Amino acid sequence: MMREKPFAILSFAIKPLLICLIVIGVFSLVYLRSGFLRLEYGLSEIEQKKMHYLKERKMLLAEKTSLLSFAKVEGDFNGKEGFILPDRLKVVHLSRQKTYASYKASLEKKQLAEP
Amino acid sequence: MNKKREIILHTAIIFSFVMVVLRLADLMIINHKRLAERAKQQHVKVENVPARRGIIFDRLGREIALNLERESLYGDPESLNLTNEDIKKLALVVEKEPRVILSKIPEGGRFAWIERKLGPEAAEKIRALDIKGLGLLPEAKRYYPNGDLASHILGFVGIDNQALEGTELQYDKYLKTAGGKIFLGRDASGRTLSSGVNTEAKGNNVVLTIDEVLQHITEKELDRAMVKWRAAAASAIVMDPFTGEILALANRPSYDPNRPGSASNSERRNRAITDCYEPGSTFKIVIGAGSLEEKIVRPNSLFDVSRGGIEAGGKTIRDVHKYGVLSFQEVIQKSSNVGSIMVGMKLGKERIYQYAKLLGFGEKTGIDLPGEVSGWMVPPEKWSGTSIGAIPIGQEVAVTPLQVLRAYAAIANGGFLVRPHVVSEVISPDGQALVSFRNREKKRVLSARTAELFKDILKSVVEEGGTGESASVNGNEVAGKTGTAQMTNPLTKRYSKEKYVSSFVGFVPAEDPKLAIIVVVYEPKGQIYGGVVAAPVFRDIADKALSYLDVPREDIPQRNALLVMQ
Repeated sequence: MMREKPFAILSFAIKPLLICLIVIGVFSLVYLRSGFLRLEYGLSEIEQKKMHYLKERKMLLAEKTSLLSFAKVEGDFNGKEGFILPDRLKVVHLSRQKTYASYKASLEKKQLAEP
Repeated sequence: MNKKREIILHTAIIFSFVMVVLRLADLMIINHKRLAERAKQQHVKVENVPARRGIIFDRLGREIALNLERESLYGDPESLNLTNEDIKKLALVVEKEPRVILSKIPEGGRFAWIERKLGPEAAEKIRALDIKGLGLLPEAKRYYPNGDLASHILGFVGIDNQALEGTELQYDKYLKTAGGKIFLGRDASGRTLSSGVNTEAKGNNVVLTIDEVLQHITEKELDRAMVKWRAAAASAIVMDPFTGEILALANRPSYDPNRPGSASNSERRNRAITDCYEPGSTFKIVIGAGSLEEKIVRPNSLFDVSRGGIEAGGKTIRDVHKYGVLSFQEVIQKSSNVGSIMVGMKLGKERIYQYAKLLGFGEKTGIDLPGEVSGWMVPPEKWSGTSIGAIPIGQEVAVTPLQVLRAYAAIANGGFLVRPHVVSEVISPDGQALVSFRNREKKRVLSARTAELFKDILKSVVEEGGTGESASVNGNEVAGKTGTAQMTNPLTKRYSKEKYVSSFVGFVPAEDPKLAIIVVVYEPKGQIYGGVVAAPVFRDIADKALSYLDVPREDIPQRNALLVMQ
């Protein structure tokens, strides 16, 4: 009889504890589920906004392409000869000389290390 | 008493449980399929994933065909009850007659398009009208931001974005994509949950070999020529002679691919590859290159053309001017018909045919655009008595401008026949290269020696005393050939005395060719000669193109800059 006493007390405490645990568990699940849904609604709204801005971006891209087209730019500078395509007589083409020039006297290590 | 109550209570509880179990069995076993389907319909929304065609870029990555987001107006005839006032308001927004709108709404059915691809402002106005039975659906509209620029290369699409012409049609399998379906969760009020996936399917992008600026230069010069010569039509092609990349291809008349419906068949025709013409003197490349390759003539071989005419099959062919004794180089330089026929007779009809075929005449070039024709080259066994006097000077043959350009590109590149193409690669929407069309095959058709000799002869055509003097570009040597051909009158089947095709084909700089260009002007008024009508167009295109491409002048030595590496 003396041995059974602690178990009796334990079983008396466990039952309400388990019931509380189940209740808390159910409420937590519901809370988490609703939180998850709320997040999904938020995401859905952001996605819709994203789609809207992507649409705007496409419109702006098309507008930019039209404005930057060579025909448009040339049209805007019509009459200013040579502004778009340079006069070939005035263009000087530089060719790189492959041979190295002589070294400049210097105490800098960096320059001395050059081939 | 208590016992009795207990039994009643137990019975009630058991009965309740049985009822619950039965209901559950009804819901979960007997009617499960039907109810699950209903629940799915209520909770899951199926939407079409919008499919967007890939973008078309020019060779430097400038967009020349893209998509715009538009909304299309539809009606549900069963629930639609339009008042006269509604129709008037609607007609005002979509800019159509009220009767046109009414004609689009059938008596029955649940769906009918009223107006496709409305602009954002019109869509907003319709939404504000709030008419029951009307709805808007998003759709993509193909948009060509440069209007009619490169329209014959780009082609166009139909109202459902189905490819109909040009690159759009040729590369449709890469550009188009299937949208598919997407399943979205939704609540009782219809609000959708996040899909978590990309809600737009994009086709692959296509990169053209065309350069927007070179294309603009070519089209502008062609427009000028059309006005100046009051021509019926014109074509011009600019090509890299070593790779076959088409840098510009233009035809006049032209059309705006944003409104293909308002263009006529003539405007939509890509004459550069679909129209055949008798080339005239530009075809002298066949007897010229052929006789040099066969070592029948040398540039200084002499031909007596002093009679000014030659008879072939009872028909006398004459030169425009009377010459004396001409060297082979001068025969080509002055475009002597008599001299060319003499060379042709030396070469023989079998070899003329062989070299015409080798240079790509009478067969498609294989350009990646729809509708190319092969032209017409009669085999020697079917030649008539006059053919030996006609074919060497570019009559009794039909060619396309692209075929002629390809043949001259073979001279420019040292003897190789290239495959012209307008697309360099296909890339995925995220920029990964999927297919590359660079480094296409090329076939040697002439020896390097022949190409070099004929190039020198072509250079003399553009020098003083040649027929193509007005094609010369300031600062760079040009090699080329003029062509003037009579058109056939379709009614009399004889050569017309009023209608001519004037052309010039060549490449520049002659010693290190960057561009091969052909200009063909159909039915010019006032002047007929290729050297007068087409050669200046060649010069203007070449001059501006070389400036744009930063090709140095050959008459101004490059200044050496001493660059000291740090």
